[in-house]
Amino acid sequence: MLSLASRSLPAGSALASASRNGTVQSVQVRGYAAPKGPAKIQKQGFVNKGKKKKFIQTVDPNKMKRIPAFKPLTANQLKSEIFHEDVKTELQLPVFRPDALTESNALAKVMEFPTQSNLINRFGVPKNLNIEYRILSKSCAVVRDITLTALDKLDAASASSSKDNRVVLTGSSGCGKSVVLLQAAEYCAGRGWIVMYVPRVHHTVDSSTAYIYDSRTRTYLQPRFSWQVLRRFLDVNTTLLQDLKTTKEFPVERKAPVQAGSPLTDLINVGLQDGSLAPSVLSSLMTELSRQKTYPVLLALDNFQALYTRTTRYRDPKFEAIKPYHLSVPRLFLEYASGKKTFARGAVVGALSEGRADFVTPLELCEALGLPFPRPAGPYVRRVPEIVDYSQGLQKLAVPEKLSIDEAASLFDVWNTDKALHSLPDDDLFMSKYSEASGNARAFVWKGLLATLTS
Amino acid sequence: MFNVLRQQARAPLRRAYATQGYVPPAAANNIGQSMIPRFKPRPVSPTFYTGLPSYFENVNTLESAITTSRNILQNLQLLPLPKFARDALPESTPVWKGKDELGFQVETKLTTARYRRLVGLLTQLEEFRKIADTAGCVEVAESIGDVTVLFQRENRDAVLAGGKKKPVQFDKYGRTYTIGRRKESSARVWMIPVQGKSQKPAAAAASSVPSVQAPLPPAAEVNESQNEATSPDLTPFLSPKPLAKTEEPTEVTATNIIINNVPLIKYFPHSLDRERIMRPFRLAGLVGAYNVFAIARGGGTTGQSGAVALGVAKGIVAHAPEVQPLLKKAKLLRRDPRAVERKKTGRRKARKAVRIFFFSSCSASLMLTFY
Repeated sequence: MLSLASRSLPAGSALASASRNGTVQSVQVRGYAAPKGPAKIQKQGFVNKGKKKKFIQTVDPNKMKRIPAFKPLTANQLKSEIFHEDVKTELQLPVFRPDALTESNALAKVMEFPTQSNLINRFGVPKNLNIEYRILSKSCAVVRDITLTALDKLDAASASSSKDNRVVLTGSSGCGKSVVLLQAAEYCAGRGWIVMYVPRVHHTVDSSTAYIYDSRTRTYLQPRFSWQVLRRFLDVNTTLLQDLKTTKEFPVERKAPVQAGSPLTDLINVGLQDGSLAPSVLSSLMTELSRQKTYPVLLALDNFQALYTRTTRYRDPKFEAIKPYHLSVPRLFLEYASGKKTFARGAVVGALSEGRADFVTPLELCEALGLPFPRPAGPYVRRVPEIVDYSQGLQKLAVPEKLSIDEAASLFDVWNTDKALHSLPDDDLFMSKYSEASGNARAFVWKGLLATLTS
Repeated sequence: MFNVLRQQARAPLRRAYATQGYVPPAAANNIGQSMIPRFKPRPVSPTFYTGLPSYFENVNTLESAITTSRNILQNLQLLPLPKFARDALPESTPVWKGKDELGFQVETKLTTARYRRLVGLLTQLEEFRKIADTAGCVEVAESIGDVTVLFQRENRDAVLAGGKKKPVQFDKYGRTYTIGRRKESSARVWMIPVQGKSQKPAAAAASSVPSVQAPLPPAAEVNESQNEATSPDLTPFLSPKPLAKTEEPTEVTATNIIINNVPLIKYFPHSLDRERIMRPFRLAGLVGAYNVFAIARGGGTTGQSGAVALGVAKGIVAHAPEVQPLLKKAKLLRRDPRAVERKKTGRRKARKAVRIFFFSSCSASLMLTFY
């Protein structure tokens, strides 16, 4: 049948060859149906429609047929970094080492904290910095003018008693007090100081940790918090503490006492083994550290104003609020901060936290530091005498409200390199967010750069 | 007999007087005023016999003035003017009196048609005055002007000046003072150009025109480097050229915005409000060029931020006029007329309607409305 059909067709026709190959398809051609011409495309762009203008944008139907089917690209063709989400970029930053911290080298540069010091890993950081360091690939901070000022002060303090070196970092919310404190702690750790850094001091007064009344000291002990402090302190300062020896015997119930002349690590281990001994071990440890002159000691406290609150969240059996100086750990910190107890060599540095509503900077502390108190406080407003006493002799170190443009630019660079920005990283974004934030560091990063999706 | 009586009775009615006859001189003395024949006085103007004498008097005066001035101008060969000369004539800005005022002047209550006729004549006269003035015929122009000025408003200059926006004033420190409003809020905004550390504070002429500036002393460094080759550069011949040219880093300044004595970040916690204020700077490309101090009163956050943004946009236009079409296109110079819609009677709020429930008995008294 096919052969018969092929003989009737002209020799050179496609249909003939197709029929010979066996691939012929019958094509019906109706003469009365005129073939469709090319589709008419109406005028594109803005077209006057009476008084108004209408925008017409239609796809050319003639062209539509020519678009081939979409096919996925091979892995070799996907060269842009947008497609490589699994590849994590790591920031390449200079390390925050004491020898690298000169004005020409370090000012307005972001430096990463060294991992050898173990400070951040063991002591932790304040909550907002924690979130930041989770997002960033490296724990880092920008070195500002105030940082270098603080470090110079600490250098000067390393030789003298902590009674003369009790500094409080002040400034408005988000200006960078916690970061400067962290930098100070890291610097001192790098310089061979013994560092006790407590990033969340408010946990000692917000009744988040266990407390128990001790009739001997007539204070409420905080065994769990003390244990944590000892644990972290030992981990960070092990090598230095092994060199230091106790001067007094430390009695232990139903066990051999810690002899005088034994390394401090032994003393700490006693407290770590028995949690109930931790508060007294901590107290003795601090006493030993205050006596020794081998190494300077830094006591760095963040959220410092929480110690000076009039009432803590703890309640006594009569359901009256317990005062901070009646709790073991806050009392210990207050004593060193007020100069009642001192380190032979070293400093006490505190950083206020202004953004908090739970523990606002109290009137007594404001007056001691010369800060403006937001509410009217004339002579008829009561100042708690104990708190006034504990806030004597504190020096203020004001952190500037604004980042300088160079410092802000370094921060911008870091966040951009870490692919945290959602918007195009041009100078318009930088300058507008910097101006909107009025130079405030936290507002610039968190409310500006990371909270924006602009074209 | 009756006839005679009748005649006698009728006689007084049939006296014949000689009205304009001869009067002997002696009889002319001691004649009362009523005896002197009176002639009707001639009216001052022929328009006396029209219904609106004063109006038509004015119309005639103006028409005769037009005729006279036309003749003068034709004699001076200023009329008819070719098209190019007519197009080249300056714009005339007469401010004719209104219908009521003009009506008072012509002592007639003017209808629109009559007022238009007067104004048409005045316009024609003003046209001739303009031609004469442009041609330099001072006396002709002045004489026509004396006529037209009677029909113009007293406060002509004030009327012409009104409706135009007053230009923003700069004070001695180069600050602008502008006002912005939005909803119930108003903001007073002072803007001053930021002076970098390299610029001297004495540069108080802080307009956007850089060409009109006193030459700065050589110690001061200007941001836009002006390379002036005053003397031939001999360093290639004397010493090796440095491999890399050390460029002076451009100083970057930031815009500081303070509202009600509080920095922007504290006054407006919401990013939308801050971005609204920053928008005119971003579009103009002038972020970091000006510092802003604003006092905002009334309304809430959106109103105050919108008011400050408008004040800022006006201030930017005052400092940098070339940016005006751009901000206008972006609708940043427009006082947003949207305001809270009033509550209407019969509705709970501006639009929120009252719910009506009908009960099955379908009585109007059972229709419950909830307010």
